[in-house]
Amino acid sequence: MSHAFYLDVDRCSGCFACTVACMDQNDLEVRDEPTAWRQVFAVESGAYPEAHLRYVSLACMHCEDAPCLLACPTGAVHREAGAQVVRVEADLCIGCHSCSIACPFGVPRFGADGKMQKCDLCDERLKYGLEPACVRACPTRALRQGSPNELGLSVGRKAAKRLTGET
Amino acid sequence: MHAKDHMDEHERKLKAKIPGDDTGIEVRKSICAICDPTTQCGLDLYVRDGRIIKVEGSQENPHNGGTLCSKGAATRQYVYHEDRLRTPLKRTGPRGSGEFAPISWDEALDTVVANLDRVRSESGAESTVFYVGYPKQMRPFVQRLAMQFGSPNFCTESSTCFTATAMAFKLVYGQMAGADLAHARCLLVWSANPFYSNTPMARGLLDALDCGTKLIVVDPRCTPLASHADIHLQLKPGTDGALALGMAHVIIEEDLYDREFVAAYAHGFADYRSYVAGFDPERAQQITGVPAEKIRAAARLYATTRPAALLPSAAPVGHNTNGVQNYRAAFALIGLTGNFDVKGGNKVAPFSWLEIGGAGFVTRQHEFEMPRQWADLPPRVGAARFPVWAELVDQAQAMDLPRQILTGDPYRLRALVAFGLNHRMFPASARFLEAIQKLDFICDIDLFATDTSRYADIVLPACSSVERSELRCYPEKYVALSQPAIAPLGESRSDTDIVFDLAHRLALDDPLLNPGPDGGVEPADAFEAAMDWIFAPSGMTMAELREHPGGMPVPHPLVSPERAYRERGFPTPTGRMEFASSILQKYSSQVGIDALPTYRPPKYSPEGSPDLARDYPLVLNTGSRLPMFVHSRTYRLSWTRSLRPQPAADLNPADARRLGIDEGDEIELSTPSGAIRVRANVTELGQPGVVHMYHDHAEADVNLLLESDYLDPISGFPGFKALLCRVDKVKSRRGTGEEKPGIAEAVRGGNAVQP
Repeated sequence: MSHAFYLDVDRCSGCFACTVACMDQNDLEVRDEPTAWRQVFAVESGAYPEAHLRYVSLACMHCEDAPCLLACPTGAVHREAGAQVVRVEADLCIGCHSCSIACPFGVPRFGADGKMQKCDLCDERLKYGLEPACVRACPTRALRQGSPNELGLSVGRKAAKRLTGET
Repeated sequence: MHAKDHMDEHERKLKAKIPGDDTGIEVRKSICAICDPTTQCGLDLYVRDGRIIKVEGSQENPHNGGTLCSKGAATRQYVYHEDRLRTPLKRTGPRGSGEFAPISWDEALDTVVANLDRVRSESGAESTVFYVGYPKQMRPFVQRLAMQFGSPNFCTESSTCFTATAMAFKLVYGQMAGADLAHARCLLVWSANPFYSNTPMARGLLDALDCGTKLIVVDPRCTPLASHADIHLQLKPGTDGALALGMAHVIIEEDLYDREFVAAYAHGFADYRSYVAGFDPERAQQITGVPAEKIRAAARLYATTRPAALLPSAAPVGHNTNGVQNYRAAFALIGLTGNFDVKGGNKVAPFSWLEIGGAGFVTRQHEFEMPRQWADLPPRVGAARFPVWAELVDQAQAMDLPRQILTGDPYRLRALVAFGLNHRMFPASARFLEAIQKLDFICDIDLFATDTSRYADIVLPACSSVERSELRCYPEKYVALSQPAIAPLGESRSDTDIVFDLAHRLALDDPLLNPGPDGGVEPADAFEAAMDWIFAPSGMTMAELREHPGGMPVPHPLVSPERAYRERGFPTPTGRMEFASSILQKYSSQVGIDALPTYRPPKYSPEGSPDLARDYPLVLNTGSRLPMFVHSRTYRLSWTRSLRPQPAADLNPADARRLGIDEGDEIELSTPSGAIRVRANVTELGQPGVVHMYHDHAEADVNLLLESDYLDPISGFPGFKALLCRVDKVKSRRGTGEEKPGIAEAVRGGNAVQP
């Protein structure tokens, strides 16, 4: 079963609750470098009086065919058989940044030890029926996770309402 | 095989912080009080060996429903920060030096009491000022302490927050009326951005929009809420009154107003109508910068979609030299369109506890905090200068403190007992610091060693909300009495315990504050007994609430009838909704006070002070919320601070281009009062001609740019949201070796992506 994070871009307000909840869950030391595993981006378009600001929260997508996994020369980035999570094994990481080059989302982070680190999907929490920390915190419920097909249905339901004017 | 594959299940669970007997991790319930008082999200604290290792929002709390904001999510850093005060301290060096020696609680409290007794016997009880900043839980207790001690001078940070909004409501309707978000078909949100100030409400708004509720947003900024608006009225800061009068013009002109309500229940409509006649949308456009067609469209949408609710904000409109009048003009639209005290409109709901209305029960909070009458006490600080405040608000107006301390007019102030004092809250913050140094004695009670606490003679360590018991209620008809989730750090104590201990040592003759004059009653027990007294009308007891540490639904919540004014009238001098205020009429000989909700441009604005605008051409708007900060309270936490590490001013790209300023450049913001140096954050968030700067930065305190008397004559509120400044480039970011892209990007408070 594959996994997806879903972000309702209409609901994301750039509040950073997801980012800080991730720091708390994972005991991240974030000081002078932007090493948070979940980043929030502000996207501006147009100019006054027609300016638009949107926000996007991004972390590892745990891609099915993960480019970082192929790029990693040592196997530090790996996926266990049948698992959803793309993991990184710090002991094997040589800090070559190949994963950064390969990742289309700019996800890999490098801490003081020079080793790659990133989101592990809170997969241990998932096992115990708990949501990833970022999803749990999200105050507008913009951020969700689960099976992509299930998430697709919930988006579809909203769209169907909109199409029929029943919003 | 990877080493991690062999990581033992137990280690994995521990690392992931999975609660259970095997991991020794227990989930304990508490309440977040980092911001206050309309959020108070329920907390699930993951505790192991008596220490918090993680925080989440409580699922069962209907207000936050399991979620948190970025500030609450940083609770662990907040609780365990190295700046936390651990013991009482006595000053050993000069004021401001930061030289202190630890002392015992007995010595500290006896020193406080000896000083208060001495000052009272020499200069009267009124020469001692009691102050409460954040949080608000101890306010009723400190107010009663002040009153029973004999001083009228109880003041709070509400001298700059929320009260002006309440005053505007009271002047028009005699009472407040909250937006009924759940049932409104149209929402007129007047300068609130709950996405950054009240996330549970933001979720409620989004849910309402999903159900097709129409949204009009009045805001000088392109906030996350404005992006959802059917109509965004992006006005110039401080011109809210002109916009509201323009909308009223359309509503009256096009006969969209509630004639029946106005005829039967309003006072002063004829005068209002003729004043409003001067504000056609074209004139309103000239003043506000909002296109006349948008003003027309918004007026029609609000007036014709029934029911419609107006959601004000706590402070921004009030932060103006004409703030109360501007909000009166806006609030008049509620009655004009017949949306007062109706389901889905603005509904009257009695306050339950700590400024939360509509929680479904009533208490004796007011009787508790006002054991004496104002008439029996000497005049409060600010009473002569702000008579409308004194008539409507049961507190002293703290904005007049520096003046009275420095002049001794009408009497000397000599001692200050402050809970959570931050001098940077005051306009001309340096003058406030200068003033308090004239006092004979200062006791500051705080969580952290702060720049202000360095000026105190005695500093007492308060504990955070997760280390104490605290009672909070919610508009979802829910109530919680939390229990301490961890032991207080060091020797820190609950603020209320400190109040009860002081009352005991002052030997106050008051069974509610000093139930055991001969000793033997623990402060925590005195707190519960007082709470039981306050909560008696609610039918709930502390013993019952204690059984539900995560909170419980209010049993048999009260339901307020609609349109109660039909039977009872309005609690105003005329008994009617007042388009023309009888109270303001009494003081209309004072500059800036009129019975009608008149519009005056901000004192310092291109219209209000054209001479000044030649040298200071940009409008400065201070203190609009950022998502990761609430005032100064989360600056010191690396998690939140990393999201916006340096003080930065938001500058529109058009202004930046004109001034040759690039993203991340060092710039100087200046007014005739002072200058600060910050980074430029070039963004379309604000409009051209307006600079937005967040407040409370120790290294760039924007309140140094304000005069101490830049105040609204009605409320005494500072004009934080509209004054004039200039911006000059100091240094380019490029070529200074500061091109670490990640950090500079983070300055934007969102890693910005250029279009």
